Amino acid sequence: MSIISTAGLTVQFGAHRALDALDVHVESGVTGLVGANGAGKTTLMSILLGLRRPSAGNATVLGLDPVTQGAELRARVGYAPERNVLPEDMPASDFVKHLAEVRGMPKDEARTRASDALWLVGLGEERFRALGTMSTGQRQRVKLAQAVAADPSLVFLDEPTDGLDPVQRDEMLTLIREISTNFGIDVVLSSHLLEEVERICDHVVALDAGRLVADGPLAELVGNDEGVTVELVEVADRPDATAAVLAALRERGFDVRLHDRSAAFDVVADDADRVADAVRDAVADSGARIGRIVRRRRRLEDLFEGARS
Amino acid sequence: MSDARILDRGYRAYEGSRSGVAGAVRSVAWHTVRSILGLGRKGRHKVFPVVVIVIGFVPAVAFLAIAILLGDFGDEVRPEYWEFFNFSVMAALVFTALVAPEAIVRDRRDGMYALYLSTPLTRPTYLLAKVIAVAGTLSIITAGPALLAFLGYTFQGLGPEGVVDGIWVGARVVLAGVAISVIYTAVSLGASSLTDRRAFASVAVILLMLGLSLATALMVDAAGMTESLRLLDPLGTPLEIPARLFGNRTVEYIDIGTLPVVLANLGWLLLGAGTLVYRYRRLAAV
Repeated sequence: MSIISTAGLTVQFGAHRALDALDVHVESGVTGLVGANGAGKTTLMSILLGLRRPSAGNATVLGLDPVTQGAELRARVGYAPERNVLPEDMPASDFVKHLAEVRGMPKDEARTRASDALWLVGLGEERFRALGTMSTGQRQRVKLAQAVAADPSLVFLDEPTDGLDPVQRDEMLTLIREISTNFGIDVVLSSHLLEEVERICDHVVALDAGRLVADGPLAELVGNDEGVTVELVEVADRPDATAAVLAALRERGFDVRLHDRSAAFDVVADDADRVADAVRDAVADSGARIGRIVRRRRRLEDLFEGARS
Repeated sequence: MSDARILDRGYRAYEGSRSGVAGAVRSVAWHTVRSILGLGRKGRHKVFPVVVIVIGFVPAVAFLAIAILLGDFGDEVRPEYWEFFNFSVMAALVFTALVAPEAIVRDRRDGMYALYLSTPLTRPTYLLAKVIAVAGTLSIITAGPALLAFLGYTFQGLGPEGVVDGIWVGARVVLAGVAISVIYTAVSLGASSLTDRRAFASVAVILLMLGLSLATALMVDAAGMTESLRLLDPLGTPLEIPARLFGNRTVEYIDIGTLPVVLANLGWLLLGAGTLVYRYRRLAAV
């Protein structure tokens, strides 16, 4: 059963269409809401939280209508905003406890759960420290703690790894995965980093300029073999060999994509074996040499490439 | 030092009841009261609240002390209940200008506003919690001295005669205090909603309340313009409420009828509340 579904969801800001007739279905688990900055992720989240009315279409979250049952819905969800500003002089434990109370917890229960949530995110020892003295990584964890402290059915996390270094990012992603796996809390994670979403999400909703690019289980959208990645070795007396290989492959109708940061390129098609044969023939004809050839896995960015082409 | 750590505190599901919107309003209101009074915060946050309480209650306490020490010093000298509201006007102004803006400005600045709206609170219920907190705290300052006088006079045998009369006096004192507080709160929060800087909000409130009060006084007393201009004074006009409730008129408003006073107070209330609601309707939550 879908925990979130939308039908024809549209948001119009004057002449700008922030969301364009989205039909989205999100299943239980960790869902990545992915897209570049300005793709409409935060707008979609604000609608799903009942904080903004759509211009057209409708949505249901946990079986509730965010427009008419917003307060009831928000009692059952947690939310961690992207903005990294928190009350400077407030101890983390007071901050989490207060928000748990606002989400309906009795005072004593809120105090206990605030402590538990801060231990859960690895800030047990630091829970009495003022938020203003904490690092960006610690603040991100506090935001996560307040989102889960009131035992929500679903949490929305807006760019939870923003401002984190690679190690902190890994730890945060692991923590988010554990929250879903160990405690049965569904997670909608907004991110502009495709690699994060590929790493921990079960489902993906990909947006590009307000339009739905893809929606479904990650395993179905990415991961299947889809062509090969090739790296050619330059040969001194064949300066045009690489260009000849690329031209030959394109001539045979293959989608050839050059990598930004290396001499490698992807040759994309449904049948990896057929692609490999074509690459072999093209390389042999041109006199180039293959440095590396591996099966290519379809990645989330291909969905965006496909949508734009 | 031990290296021992508690590794698993056992995050649990919660099966109990939740307090819903009413609980959220209560929690935010109480948190706001603590915040504006500086409770649980560093000493510097307690300075203005302490100043307000001191200047609000000192005159009332002084009069009561004199009444207790010297006994009944005559109706001519002894202030009436409604006059005690004038003693606390400066305290109310300091609170309205310097303390009350903290209630909403801080939330917008430090991200709490977005977090609050991700809970069962909506914009109207969030603002309701803030108004309850500010007006409730301000009521202690506006009605407190008069209530203190009420108790002091009663213990001295100078208060109302009989329980019914006592309840009637007490109710009017509380009603007047709450009415003044709600109007001052609306004006203060309305002005504070226009900026994210507390200092700017304070200046705006001072200019609006004290500035208009002085301007109308000059126009009427110095320039000889119509007395009705006093109704444009958002600081003085609400103070006419207790006087009218106790069947009196202050010297400044003696030629102005009760209906214009009521309408002017209603106007200030609606102007402040309207500005506040308009600003927050346009303020993005997420």
